[in-house]
Amino acid sequence: MKRRVSKLAAGINIIVALFFIFPFISALEFSLRGYGGVGHTFENYFWILKQTNFSDAISTSIKVAILSSVLVLVLVVPTIVHLHLAGRKFHKFVDGLSVLPNLIPSISLAVAVQFSMPGWMQVSYYELSFFNVLIAFPFVFRSLDSALKSIPLSTLVEASDTLGGNWMKTLFFVIVPSVRSATIASVLITVALSLGEYTLATVLHFQTVPTWAVNVSQENLYGSVAISIGALFFSWVALLLLVFFPKVSKRIYRKFQGRYAL
Amino acid sequence: MPKLDRGFLGVIPLILFFSIFLFFPIASILNSSLHDNNDHFTLTLYGNLFHGEFAAAFLESIKLAGASMLISGFAGGIICWSLSKTTNNTRTLINTVSGLLANTGGVPLAFMFIAAFGQEGLVVKALMKIFHYDLYSGSFQLFNFWGLITVYCFFQIPLMLIVFMPTVEHIRTEWYEANVTLGGNGIRYLRHILVPIVGPAFLSSLFLLFGNAFSAFATAAAMTNGTIPLIPLLIGNLLNGEVISGQANQSAALAMGMIVISMFLFYLFPLITRKLVKT
Repeated sequence: MKRRVSKLAAGINIIVALFFIFPFISALEFSLRGYGGVGHTFENYFWILKQTNFSDAISTSIKVAILSSVLVLVLVVPTIVHLHLAGRKFHKFVDGLSVLPNLIPSISLAVAVQFSMPGWMQVSYYELSFFNVLIAFPFVFRSLDSALKSIPLSTLVEASDTLGGNWMKTLFFVIVPSVRSATIASVLITVALSLGEYTLATVLHFQTVPTWAVNVSQENLYGSVAISIGALFFSWVALLLLVFFPKVSKRIYRKFQGRYAL
Repeated sequence: MPKLDRGFLGVIPLILFFSIFLFFPIASILNSSLHDNNDHFTLTLYGNLFHGEFAAAFLESIKLAGASMLISGFAGGIICWSLSKTTNNTRTLINTVSGLLANTGGVPLAFMFIAAFGQEGLVVKALMKIFHYDLYSGSFQLFNFWGLITVYCFFQIPLMLIVFMPTVEHIRTEWYEANVTLGGNGIRYLRHILVPIVGPAFLSSLFLLFGNAFSAFATAAAMTNGTIPLIPLLIGNLLNGEVISGQANQSAALAMGMIVISMFLFYLFPLITRKLVKT
């Protein structure tokens, strides 16, 4: 009985793995097809790089992602730390608030933005950053919240206070380093969401990488598939960074701390 | 002047952020959806949601979300069970990959699917070469209802794995053994042990999947070019001015309709399950 069960489980796992891997392989093969579907080359990837408006789209995407991560670091991270210190009363309130961005369908949010934001904001693509932060907020909140719960925060803060650190020093040299991987994860998820966000960008008529990929699919479907593969590859690299970066950043942080602290 | 609470001061920036970028926009579409083009108060925009093409689109969206919820939910449940038999490392890997797929689905997923199952796709070509079977000989189409459901599986099943896996990991073999020792059979185990414990979590996961499929826009927009009348696509078309102008406020009413349905699922559903569990 038991052996039969584990065989069944293994069978299901293999089928599922195939089901999920096959589109990736297909897309990779598809993106490497030559002109007119004959032979295999890297032509489609070069084709993307040759498009003039592609560089505009990718620079827009990157700028939006950078502003979003800065906002997360400046606004969201300190607030969540605060919720674990002086603002404990408001923890439940913000917890309730944090599900709202997941609940509002992004197309509804897009309509709302178009109806409400003033004209001077609608013309700048940096507008997207604010809403990306909003959409990423539930993920950022959950990962930082659980990380902060697992460290002896009040002890750390007291120690920093007795040693003469002000709140800036406490935040950036004591608290953030102790929840380093959650902070990095928050920034990475914000970047990933910003780079992949399509709904708001298309409704508000901004040309980012995903909207560019959809627009260009009429012209060259191979190119669109190639850019999709590229985007996924980028997310995987980000994911790998998430796993390996903490060790590297620890070393850099130590050096940095040695030079500037106190 | 009364002394301001330090705890409150620290939350003000976040509250301001949410007010400006979430509450104010939603309030303004609520306001627009209650006024016609001449700024007179009216409920007709909401009345329109209940007949004609909008009602049909809502129905189609609900049908799609429901079918996707059932298929991905049950498939995901079974996969959770089979994954719970694997090692910890595999599960961590699956968790990471699921997180990636569930969150970054959207446009890349649509194109990957076209590459696999489209007319020129690898799967179609492979089936042709190996089994001499033409996938497109029947009624199969990538851009219709069932095609969309297949694509949705690729972010719905991972989401199911993320939300439901903790519950499945919680199930202990001792429970089954205890059941056998006390003279119970498989059916009794299901009815009296597994369903009461896992049921509520399963149901709420299903509703999460429903909401996710209901509000998905990017994949559908990239794949179908609006050939299936779904509510999110309809809103997108209204905003792009592909329909008569002067209907702008109608899109606000549609957006509010979607918000209401999502809120309803999220806040009312737990109440219902809690009641079900008690009885």
